Amino acid sequence: MVETQANVARLDELLERKGVTRRRFLEFCGAIAVSLGLSEALIPTVHEAIAESVIGKETGALTPVIWLELASCTGCTESFAQVDTPDVATVVLELISLNYSETLSAGAGFSLEEAKEQTIEAGGYLVVIEGALMEGWDGNALRIANEKGTEIVKHACANAKAVICAGSCAVDGGWQAGYPNPGGAIGIQSFLTREQAAGSFTYKGGDGNLPPIINVPTCPANPEHMVAVIVDVLLVGKLPDLNSQNKPSLIFSQYIHDNCPRRGHFENGEFVYQFGSEEEKKGYCLYAMGCKGPQTKNNCPIVRWNRRVSWCVEAGAPCIGCAVSDPATTKNNWVDLNAPFLKRFRNLNIGDIRLQPATLAAAVGGIAAVLLVAHAFGMKATGRTKGGADFERQRKWDMQHPDRAIASAPAVTGGASEEDNGTPAATAAENEESKADSKEGGTQ
Amino acid sequence: MTATTPTPRTTPTDPATTVTAVPTTAAVATAASVGNKPNGQSIIDPVNRIEGHLRIDMEVKDGIVDDVWISGGLFRGMELVLEKRRTADAAYISQRICGVCPVSHAHASAIAGDKSYGITIPNGARIIRNLVEGAQFLHSHILWFYNLAALDYVNPLNALSADVAETVKLANSAGTTEADFAGLKARLKAFADNGQLSIFSGNWFDSKELDGSSAYKLPAELDLIATMHYLEALEMQATASEISGIIGGKMPHIMTSIPGGSAFVPTEEKLDDLLFRAIKLRDWVKNTMIPDTLAIVPFYMDEFNYGGNAGNYIAWGVFEAPSFKPEERYLPGGVWSFKEPGYQQVQNWDEELITESTIHSFYDPAIDNGTPIKPRQGITAPLYKDEYMVPNGQHPAQGARYTWDKAPRYDNKVFEAGGLARLLVAYNRKVPEIVEGIDNVLKALGAEGRVELLNSTMGRTGARNIETLYVATKMVDWVNELIEAIKGGNAATFIEPATRTGEGAGMWEAPRGALYHYMKIKDDLIEKYQIIIPSSWNISPRDGDDRHGPMEESLLGCPVEDVAKPIHALRAVHSFDPCVACAVHVSEPATGRKFSVVTNPWGVK
Repeated sequence: MVETQANVARLDELLERKGVTRRRFLEFCGAIAVSLGLSEALIPTVHEAIAESVIGKETGALTPVIWLELASCTGCTESFAQVDTPDVATVVLELISLNYSETLSAGAGFSLEEAKEQTIEAGGYLVVIEGALMEGWDGNALRIANEKGTEIVKHACANAKAVICAGSCAVDGGWQAGYPNPGGAIGIQSFLTREQAAGSFTYKGGDGNLPPIINVPTCPANPEHMVAVIVDVLLVGKLPDLNSQNKPSLIFSQYIHDNCPRRGHFENGEFVYQFGSEEEKKGYCLYAMGCKGPQTKNNCPIVRWNRRVSWCVEAGAPCIGCAVSDPATTKNNWVDLNAPFLKRFRNLNIGDIRLQPATLAAAVGGIAAVLLVAHAFGMKATGRTKGGADFERQRKWDMQHPDRAIASAPAVTGGASEEDNGTPAATAAENEESKADSKEGGTQ
Repeated sequence: MTATTPTPRTTPTDPATTVTAVPTTAAVATAASVGNKPNGQSIIDPVNRIEGHLRIDMEVKDGIVDDVWISGGLFRGMELVLEKRRTADAAYISQRICGVCPVSHAHASAIAGDKSYGITIPNGARIIRNLVEGAQFLHSHILWFYNLAALDYVNPLNALSADVAETVKLANSAGTTEADFAGLKARLKAFADNGQLSIFSGNWFDSKELDGSSAYKLPAELDLIATMHYLEALEMQATASEISGIIGGKMPHIMTSIPGGSAFVPTEEKLDDLLFRAIKLRDWVKNTMIPDTLAIVPFYMDEFNYGGNAGNYIAWGVFEAPSFKPEERYLPGGVWSFKEPGYQQVQNWDEELITESTIHSFYDPAIDNGTPIKPRQGITAPLYKDEYMVPNGQHPAQGARYTWDKAPRYDNKVFEAGGLARLLVAYNRKVPEIVEGIDNVLKALGAEGRVELLNSTMGRTGARNIETLYVATKMVDWVNELIEAIKGGNAATFIEPATRTGEGAGMWEAPRGALYHYMKIKDDLIEKYQIIIPSSWNISPRDGDDRHGPMEESLLGCPVEDVAKPIHALRAVHSFDPCVACAVHVSEPATGRKFSVVTNPWGVK
């Protein structure tokens, strides 16, 4: 008898009434089936489901990978499909056995779910998770194959060699965790940590630890980063060095600002104040347009995007800090920390309390900028930027727009002492991270 | 369990009997005469090779789909996240609704912002937006045809038994491009010898027709050619995304299309980067994608029999013309129907005629009793109850709420959105290249003048490739237009608004169809945001009159040989290129939740 969705569904119903999930049933197939008093006809069906492989050989030259899409936009898969170092066909034909991917798999429905089950049962696989986990309505905000996303994640992670969280959503909920977090988005590390503490998740190889988790934020995940994490891990045979937030240290340790090609203009105090302006054509610094490069850790200026043709700042757009993420909480997601993207101040949500210190923000923003400009003049005066970018001693834009010119902002004392300490946002995130660190012990 | 289907299902008159000049299997003709036809429930969950989580639940009677429930399995709540943020932030955040068509969302949002500001973007910005939108269309259509839909028709594992010399001959006679077929065959053999199935795990390549013949009908040589082009297509979709990357900074999720115009400044050094990629794409689509389509389709002529529906089509239109009129866009806006009185002549659209019903969706019945609501007045609130959970082995009950997706309707009628809708509107608006493209393809398939055949799985699938060639050709024109605009000093890219209070709708097209963003802003803060996504139209559940959505209706009548692998149903679903994550979201809430925004000095660093 060929197993069909129809009779499997009936079987599920029977099992459900007995309080047994199909999965557990499959694990103890045979004897239990008899003891449950299932009809004779169903038993060979179940045996067949186990005997018949839909993934081919369980092991071989390729590392099995399960790529789960949760509350995702598929952007991380799309992004991964653009890579050429190596190209995605080489990855899935010659480097990994991508046994489950909702976007790329040839199979669908029951047979695809079966491929995932067989991979999990065989073990030795990597899990890539794309998208946030949704806990809204007791996890019903996300259902796949009639199962809650929360259950799917726990099941797939319990037997995995390592879990790779692709993109900011999987790391901490991403935009979906943006206030008011309507669907109950949460990052994978937070979720598994909490579930383990509550005794409802156990990592099989773990001795009480979580599976190794590698967080690869950015919206979407940069495919160069994903290849570095998946393929290079296979080539080198060990996980990359991770920082205290379980992000690969080599990628996420420096600010975008540190490596920005427009840094010279920043040092000179040469800013773009309006899109489509002469300043923008000259490629001046986008700091005044709200660029979050100074507070976002990533190496975008170096790896760039889409086969290295460009990146955000080169195209003329200020960085919006889409890699800002904190696996310990959903509260520091990049949207809430960085919006409004084109301003130098940001939204703050404290419950229903509504403050409007906009003027203060402008004033303090002005102070910081004035200091920067002073810094730039100083740099120029001391010759440290000699031979650098074009330098306007008297900036044309400032003279035409005295009300908005940075150099003319009122000098107010106080509030400027944070200038060299990194942003409060980053500091808050790092404090959280050190807390998470002491709990987790990180990964090896 | 059987819901009523008030709209009579329209099946195109059987082309298998008239289109005899082309190879076709006898599956259709024999469907009714073969015994052992399955009955019972057939489920595809998850539907693969699409964006998002989609569940297809079908009741099969005597080997034919008799009833169907389509369900979107994810709720995220985009509109709620957008409230009280800045106008421009919406263009950045809302495109995260979909990683396949982020550019379209950015543009619909930016247009809504432009209208709220009361501005018209300058000429340079118009052309730049067209270019990055076109790049995304090419990326999306190429990826969809070769890398997502093709595996319903092409079996790469079968290519192992291809004869390489015959493959070269076939490629030549089909007019499609040659390549290192021997090398690919060796590569596939090494893959097969290893034994791990990778992306072919759980495949449906063993699917059968009702007469027992294989549902995968291509000769091994054509499978090898198509597999080669599967790999080339991966390169080409990446090339298209390079154009998006050059203009937008990165793709997915571009950075430069914002209310007021574009943050991208087309300096001279970028123009050649754009032009030569556009030419490369146009030539590949012309020399590979179109010949492949004409080579593969004849083996699957039976798919012209399935996947049809009422045949009503909406397109808001895409690729802005200098006039900025939706009906004059390069792919024009309009409403058209094969049969519906009043729409057999193409009409301009009217935003006032759009409504949404949530009577079968997971939304709060206390707040929304299912009365269709205009999007600008939307008051729905998400609510999931345990009672909505459908036990395994059962279908949703009569009248039940069974999806997170809503049911949009136009003029209180069911309408399909997407590539086919755009093409039929353009065809009836007499856009010359589209008229020529459709007429030529039908002629090549031996079905000259039979436009009604396009209302089917194969029609929907093939139409996209005609559109791909049109967009690829226009892309080269638009780069040249930009070069001329720069020469003539008419290439400004940004305009500052005088006021930042107002409201407006961005009605545009994603590759998957009609896309609607609406915003109301006060002092540059968003007070209200509403989105209607193309796939919301297509995968919509039943409405208050119990009428199926377009995709549900298209599945009725599909033959099912094996309820575990309903391949014809899967092909019909894929023909819509559904994009589910974006289809499922929420409009203006009435949940009493507040979103407080304060500005503060943090972040000045």
